Amino acid sequence: MPEILALLIAPDWVRSLTGERPPNVFWAEYIVWPLIQIVIVLFVVLTVVAYLVYFERKISAFIQARLGPMRVGPWGILQPAADGLKLLLKEDIIPIKADKLVFSIAPIISVVSTLVVLAVIPWGAAWATIANVNIGLLFVLAVSSVSVLGLVLAGWSSNSKYSLLGALRSSAQMVSYEVGMGLSIIGALIFARTLSLSGIVEAQRADGLPYFLFQPLGFLIYLISALGETNRAPFDLPEAESELVAGYHTEYSGFRWALFFMAEYTAMLVTSAVAVTVFLGGWYFPGLDWIKSNWGPNIYVLLSVAAFAGKIAVLIYAYMWFRWTWPRYRYDQLMELGWKWLIPAGLANVVLTGVWYVLALPEAQGGVFGFVKQTAGRYVPTGYGKIYFILTGFIITIPLSWALLATINRRSRDFNLHDQRQLQIKLRSERIKRNEPVAE
Amino acid sequence: MQLHGWEAVIFYVLAIGTLFMGVYVVTARLAVHSALCLIATLVNVALLFILLRSEFVAGVQILVYVGGVMVLFLFVIMLVQTRAEEEDKVKLYTRQMWPAVTVAFLLAISFFFAMQPAQMAYRPSQSQTEAEKKGDDPGVRSESGAGLKVSTDTESVGEALYRQAALPFEIASLLLLVAIVGAVLLARGSKQEKLYE
Repeated sequence: MPEILALLIAPDWVRSLTGERPPNVFWAEYIVWPLIQIVIVLFVVLTVVAYLVYFERKISAFIQARLGPMRVGPWGILQPAADGLKLLLKEDIIPIKADKLVFSIAPIISVVSTLVVLAVIPWGAAWATIANVNIGLLFVLAVSSVSVLGLVLAGWSSNSKYSLLGALRSSAQMVSYEVGMGLSIIGALIFARTLSLSGIVEAQRADGLPYFLFQPLGFLIYLISALGETNRAPFDLPEAESELVAGYHTEYSGFRWALFFMAEYTAMLVTSAVAVTVFLGGWYFPGLDWIKSNWGPNIYVLLSVAAFAGKIAVLIYAYMWFRWTWPRYRYDQLMELGWKWLIPAGLANVVLTGVWYVLALPEAQGGVFGFVKQTAGRYVPTGYGKIYFILTGFIITIPLSWALLATINRRSRDFNLHDQRQLQIKLRSERIKRNEPVAE
Repeated sequence: MQLHGWEAVIFYVLAIGTLFMGVYVVTARLAVHSALCLIATLVNVALLFILLRSEFVAGVQILVYVGGVMVLFLFVIMLVQTRAEEEDKVKLYTRQMWPAVTVAFLLAISFFFAMQPAQMAYRPSQSQTEAEKKGDDPGVRSESGAGLKVSTDTESVGEALYRQAALPFEIASLLLLVAIVGAVLLARGSKQEKLYE
């Protein structure tokens, strides 16, 4: 079975550890090596998550011309350890009238549903990916949609009005932005023709270009929805540190509170990782094949992991940059953006991308231009095809969707909420002038 | 597909878990606890789908039911229910219990007899059992997910949905559209309409 042998991904030393000989390598392939990978990924990701808080403070300090944390260790690099220790040692308070079972399950649901997603993220080439499941992207969307439950249950079980309203606020936001996020990815799937995350990376490698060039509108919608989905500024209304007490986690303290925070920052990492995988080419960068043939497979894998991490770091820096640059949205503006702009734009993007793709198919397949060639079982755009997809994406899809949505949202009587609000305000002020009762 | 070895063990663990959670859904005193158990039931059913090698359906089950429908359920429960409804004030066993038990019993009998012909008709052919044995390893992982078809479940669902089931699919989407328009119309209220008159 030579083709099966080529697919085994565990390094040789794992196989010698279990004393198995190919092709019977069940333990090495499915138990030992994945467990090692899981331990490494969890350790690295949780450390990175702790340091994301540190980087957030340092970057905010940099943007506001301050120093940030400087006391614990040189340049404050031990600050996350100190914070973690403090949170562990704090008293764990459960309000007397809280629903104790649900109160303690809620943070666990949040954390677990974000950590499980890490299993299918393609961290790098060959042996660096834990599980390449066929439904990868669907799995990510499905499991991360469960984390909303954690927030809702936390808000309800605290038995406090602040928590309940905070939970309603944040779960309404997350449910709304999840839809836009799911829609924005479909355009890229038309090109990749697979849901497997490793498959999407391989497809971009075969097509020769990362998909944000073919899917500029999809990438934009994804980035904005991801900000809303992870409750980050400018959409951080659930928490709104400078205005409110807190949201759904008002009653939480100590390590349970830390779990919510951990889930939030891990979600940020996961959404960036998905953006990198689907739109920015994943772990692949031009020249990686040359490195593989000249420097050996191990350096190739390590460099692919480094490339993936680097791309994620750029996106996360952008998130933090947004936070300290833009003011917070008002709640109705947030909902308007999500439902009236992002979701329709995502739908328009799916339809337009489908039209461009069908037009580009060869004539035998029902297309017109023949910019897409079938090679090795999948469709790859030719040189002209790449230019065609980039041009249609940037020059036609974006302006057309924009014009369509602007017509619907700004010029029609029924959908222009801004206009309706202004009219109400005007009528009210007229009533006040005429000394009529204003209560409605 | 017949279950053997570990698959059978996993199946029975999941099935019993599903049943227990289902029973707790109707016996829990607080509606939120019922909802939590319903979530556990739905997750268990998704795992059963994975055991049947239909991971696409499992993913959609989690995405739609757990991530979407149950969140809305919880919304409604949280907004309607207050804690004033204390635990001991809820009567769990009323006179409706006996009709319910009868209906459940009849349903169980009809399930039993409905499944029997299917069980009798199932005779695994030689090639099928061999294919099952080969397919027993939990999928082959590869560097290139695109090149090798690990599982074609997603493709077969897609093919069926847009070829054989295209018309029902469109009808269902139309129904949903009607529901959305109706909901918007009900939510708007007359005040907004009057404003422009």
